[in-house]
Amino acid sequence: MTEPGVSAKRILLLDDEEAILLPTAKYFRGLGCTVDMAREPEEAEALISHRRYDLVILDLRVTRFGGAEGLEVLREIRRRDHGTSVIVLSAYISAEVEEEARALGADGVLRKPQPLPDLAHLAFALMGMPRG
Amino acid sequence: MGEQVLLDRILEPGSLSVHFQPVMEVHGSRVKPHYLEALIRGPHGTTAESPAILFEYARKKNRESDVDRACVGAILGAASSLPADTTVGINVHASTLAMDAGFVKFLAAGLSARKLSPRRLVVEIVEHAPPWDVVGFGTAIEALRRLGARIALDDVGLGHSNYMMILECRPDYFKVDRHFVSGCSRDFHRRAVIASVAQLARPFGARVVAEGVEDLADLAALKRLGINLIQGFLFGQPGLASDVLASAAMLHRRSGAAGRSASRTHAGR
Repeated sequence: MTEPGVSAKRILLLDDEEAILLPTAKYFRGLGCTVDMAREPEEAEALISHRRYDLVILDLRVTRFGGAEGLEVLREIRRRDHGTSVIVLSAYISAEVEEEARALGADGVLRKPQPLPDLAHLAFALMGMPRG
Repeated sequence: MGEQVLLDRILEPGSLSVHFQPVMEVHGSRVKPHYLEALIRGPHGTTAESPAILFEYARKKNRESDVDRACVGAILGAASSLPADTTVGINVHASTLAMDAGFVKFLAAGLSARKLSPRRLVVEIVEHAPPWDVVGFGTAIEALRRLGARIALDDVGLGHSNYMMILECRPDYFKVDRHFVSGCSRDFHRRAVIASVAQLARPFGARVVAEGVEDLADLAALKRLGINLIQGFLFGQPGLASDVLASAAMLHRRSGAAGRSASRTHAGR
């Protein structure tokens, strides 16, 4: 059953791996959230330009070129800042990357893959709806 | 997954759908369709189904011109089933006209292939991101005029649809954005902006289209300002060509009947 207030929460997921994107979207939808999915940084940026999100969960590396494109999206979110919380995920998190992501305004930095209940725990805490 | 999954879907033949919304001409109580603006929806079930997201994404990918070409293809396909006297408005980004030197030829070839007269075309210029090549843009506008198309400047008063664009386009239509139109009956300052656009349009020999008209009070205020080209939910939401044409024709018939009845009542007094 959807908890009060949860259905109003809008989440954007950015990841180019369908095997991660689809189950994550399904999980959060199952918890009553509205979820948009983006598979490219430009798609995420286009969505951020026109919609407000309570939370963005983004993969640091979302193209085959191997750069940290997720950080560009994070910059764009913070440039527009509507009080959106951001969780950065990456399979390769060094101390430097974590430091850079936090300096750019990431509220959480987690290693991929992350168990969905753990991800949801942080997500709801950041959205002001802590789960026990 | 590949980098351009969404773009590939957008550019796939048949993935874009076309809706139309009428621009209605209003004189007294009589209304009739003036032209139909074609509105694009991106691939069903994707984030780009929303046109705002579709075009923002195309801009971010630097592929506006490719997406504009795909839109033109879809719109001309839909327009070929319209009655021969229907004029169609097509939105084109100023950046596409400026940067894609072959765009007007592409458009002309598309019209010719579907046996559509360019005189049935209103090219609505939209712009979201400067800077653009003024020379290339001017050349494209000139080519569109030679072709016989009319030019509309969209979103007048907003963003980059400014005085410079008016000079570069010399539009046949000034489209005033809903931001100024909605609620104008209750806001003197909004009416002042609309009146200034109407005054500006006059020496260009252009007509003003009010976008986003949703209630009768705003319609009356616009008519008092001399604006008689009206677009908005008051006269119909965007829809399939057949539905929009049927609804516009019904409005035309009813307004004609209402006009005749009003004349009889007036004459009887």
